[in-house]
Formats: sequence, structure tokens, C-alpha cells
Amino acid sequence: MTPLALRQATAFCALGGALFCMLVIQGCSPYESRHHNQWNSREQIWLSETSQLKVRAAQTRAFDTKDRRRMLEAIISTMQDLDFNVEVLDEELGIVSGKKFIDIEQPYVTDPTYLLYRPDTLLLLTRSFNTWGPFWHRSNLVRFTATIRTRGDSQLIVRASAQFYLQAVEEPGPYQQFFRALEQALFLHGQSVE
Amino acid sequence: MIQQRKGSMTAKQCVWGGLLIVGSLLLYGCSTPQPPQDLLAPSDAQLKLRSIQTRTFDVKDRNAALRGVIASLQDLGFIIERANEPLGLVTAARFAEPNYYDVISVTVTVRQDTKDRLTIRANAIYNNKPIDDPKVYQNFFASLERSLFLTKE
Amino acid sequence: MPTTPRNSKRTGACLISLVLLTGCVTHTEPAELFQLTTETSKHRAMQTRFFETPNEKELLSASAAVLQDLGFQVEESVREVGFLRATKERSAREYGQYIQRVLFLVLSLGKLLSPVDLHQKIAAGLITRPLNQAATRQEIRIVFYRIVWKGDGQTDRQYIPPGQQHMEMIRDPEIYQQFFAKLSKAVFLEAHTI
Repeated sequence: MTPLALRQATAFCALGGALFCMLVIQGCSPYESRHHNQWNSREQIWLSETSQLKVRAAQTRAFDTKDRRRMLEAIISTMQDLDFNVEVLDEELGIVSGKKFIDIEQPYVTDPTYLLYRPDTLLLLTRSFNTWGPFWHRSNLVRFTATIRTRGDSQLIVRASAQFYLQAVEEPGPYQQFFRALEQALFLHGQSVE
Repeated sequence: MIQQRKGSMTAKQCVWGGLLIVGSLLLYGCSTPQPPQDLLAPSDAQLKLRSIQTRTFDVKDRNAALRGVIASLQDLGFIIERANEPLGLVTAARFAEPNYYDVISVTVTVRQDTKDRLTIRANAIYNNKPIDDPKVYQNFFASLERSLFLTKE
Repeated sequence: MPTTPRNSKRTGACLISLVLLTGCVTHTEPAELFQLTTETSKHRAMQTRFFETPNEKELLSASAAVLQDLGFQVEESVREVGFLRATKERSAREYGQYIQRVLFLVLSLGKLLSPVDLHQKIAAGLITRPLNQAATRQEIRIVFYRIVWKGDGQTDRQYIPPGQQHMEMIRDPEIYQQFFAKLSKAVFLEAHTI
């Protein structure tokens, strides 16, 4: 009688302990805790960069050329140099978009779910409503879009924007480096737009 | 001695017999079902469904018709997933609101028959099951006609 | 003593059914979904504007720029039919869900650790089309929607794997108004409601 009761008591204790540990781990698991916490996640639809003007200035350069084709080719080759996979390309609209995955965090153990992970499984409407996808490797995804618009009679404006770790990239550094590479590919100097 | 040996023999035979039966049972379960002869043959019901799903329109501009299809699908609350101009193909999907468990997807093809006539065919699927209710297609084409008429003005 | 596991099982089942019940809604007939209702025309009015311009290309390219301003990344572009889809991935964590989680955990005596929203993909599907034969008037329609993925959880002794998804159409008129306000500023044209 006593050993049985004791065994069950220990089992419950272990379960409780495990749950408590899970809760604690949950709270500080690297993937989840670094996500921005908020009161209403719907606000993210409209929420954009903190100081739009400053970020926009970093993302934009004006070039003294009218040759859209050449500009597009330069952007694509720069993106390819940076290991991006170009997915969307529209010459007339002047849109280029691509993505890549970077290894900034090596997991401690080889996670089998990582091998099952398919980056494009997070599609718009999945037939199987519940896809138990191993989606948290999504954190290493970088998305990049560049658009070209004409300005005046002799200029093209290039705007680049990137997304990483479920956030828009707002630091000027990465964009400066991109434009430096683009300038080298074009043999042209880009002026920043106020 | 001989009897004993005989006894052990039967036990062995029993084991083998059992194994055979189990094996044959397993094999039986493994045989794949033969594909029915009419697997790829169109049935009468399918032919009828095709006529329900297809309409011809006296429209010259295929691109405008394709845009009309997209607009009417959007009117019906569908999300456009893919659009392909050269193939004249549009796929769209939506949830069966108010529930977010069942998905309805539609594939529409626009084909130019003659210079001023084109055929539009719609296939609707409800959770992997094709919809054969004529009313669904009647409703769809009613909204499509409305949308095509809107641009003609 | 022997009733304890059964009791715990029962409470677990109760909790699961409670969670499931909240998701229980009536079925809709497919034929109804292909019918235009007052709702659909209301949504249409909210999501649609027209511009007095023959330049569809400029409208599409400006829309891409406005979406880029909001941190969206272009995912698909089919200019021939005036189709553009842009998405952004953001955190979906909410304080309220964590409070609810702790509440459930306490109420279920440590047996239910409900999954919380972690990750969302916000999408915008945009379609332009000429409204008249001469194509001097362009209609533009945009639909915002989002898909949300949950993390993992635990009920009694059953582990709930991560990745459960749900989806919602955005029907907040303000978001659409703001988008069209930005777009009309970008193309220097007035956006007319239909």
C-alpha cells in the first residue's frame, strides 16, 4: 500500500516538476522569447518602422541613369553575389525580390525537424489546416526586395528593404553595404535622397 | 524413441504450418488492389458536371475576361493564389467562413475558342472533394457575368 | 487511490473539449459561399478604389512602393493581369495569451499548458483592372489577411507539437483607408470610392 502510494506521489511530483521546467524553458527558449511581445498582434499589419523617414533615407539611393535594364541586372547580380535566391522579377514594374537562409545560430544537437523543414510550407492557404510544421527555423530567413522608380527625366531611384528574424531591418549598415556593392557593379555613384 | 522423434517432428511441423498461415495472411494484406478498369474513363456524371462547369461567352478580349474572373472571385471573398496570363489560369481559395476549418478552392481556365468567343471553365473543390452541386456553378457564373458586364460599360 | 488517474483523465478530457468547443462553429453550404450578399458588397466597397488614370503600370509600381514602406516584401507579381502579392512575417506574441496560459495552468492544476501565438504572416493581395474600354479609369482592390502559427503546449501527458495555424481576413476599414490615402499621395491622384 505504502510503496504504491509513494510511487504515485513521486510520479506526480515528477510530472509537476517536468511541467514547471517546461514552463520555465518555454519562457526563455531562444526562439520564442526573442519575439516581440505586444498587446494586440493585429497592429503589426499597419505597424512599420519606428522612424520611417530615417529608415527610408538609408534604404534609398538615386542614380544618374535612365537605363532600367542595366540597373535591374546590376541589382540581380549583386543579390546573387550575396547568395540571394531571386524569386520575383518584374522588369516593367521594376521589382526584384529574393530570399536566403543564414546560419547564425548552430543548434546544440542535430534537430531532425530541421531536415523536415521546408521554407515554403508557410504558404498562404494550406489545404491541411493543421500543419504541425517545424517552423521555428524560420528565424534564419532573410527576405530582400528592391524596387526601381523613375525620378524626373534622368534619374532612377532604388529602394531596398530587408526582413530578418520576424522584423524589418532598420539599421542603416546592411543597406550601406548593399549599395556599395551595387555602385561597384554599376560604376556609378548613388546619391542619398533627403 | 521413434515416437518421441515423431512428436518433435509434429511440433516442428506445427510451427512451420503456423508460420505459413501467418505469412500467407501477411502476404494477403500486402497485395495491392487492382486499379478498376474505369479508373481513367470519364463517367456520365463527370460529363454532366463538365457541362455545368463550362460556359461560353461572346467576348473578344481574353485578358479582360481573365481580369473579370479574378474580380468576381475577389467579390466572392476568395484569395487569389496564382494567376497565369499565357495559360489563362487562375486559382483561388477561401475558408468556409464563419468556420476556418473547411477550405474551398477554385481553378478557373479561360480559353479562346474563336476570334470572338471564349470558354470559361470553373472547378470548385471543397476540402479535396470536387463540388458537383450545379447551384454553386450557377452562382459563380452569375457573379462572373455581373463582373464582365461591369467592365463593358 | 485508484480513482485519481481516472479523475485526472476526466479533467484532462474536459479541458480538451472546452478548448475544442470554443472552436466549434456551424457549417456553411458551398452554394451560399458563391452568392453575393450585402456583406460582400460592403467588403468590396471597403477594399476598392478607382483612379482616373490610364497608367496601370504606375499604379502597380506605386502600390508596391507603398507596401514596401509598410515593411512588406513582394512575393508574387503577374503584371499581365495586374496582380501583386506582398507579405511580411512578424511576431504574433500577445501578453493576453500568456496571462490566459497561466490561468489555464492554475485552473487545470498544472495539466494544461495551452499553446500561444508565436508567428504571423501578414499578406496583401492586390489587383488592378481597367474599368472602361478606353482604360482611362483604373480600379484597384487590395485584400489584407494574416495567418498565425502557435507554439507547442502540453495537456496532461500529451505533448502538443508546434505549428497549429489559423487564418483571418482583415476587415478593419481603417487599415484600407490608410493604405489608399498613402497610395493616392504616391501617385498624386485622388482615390475615388466606388
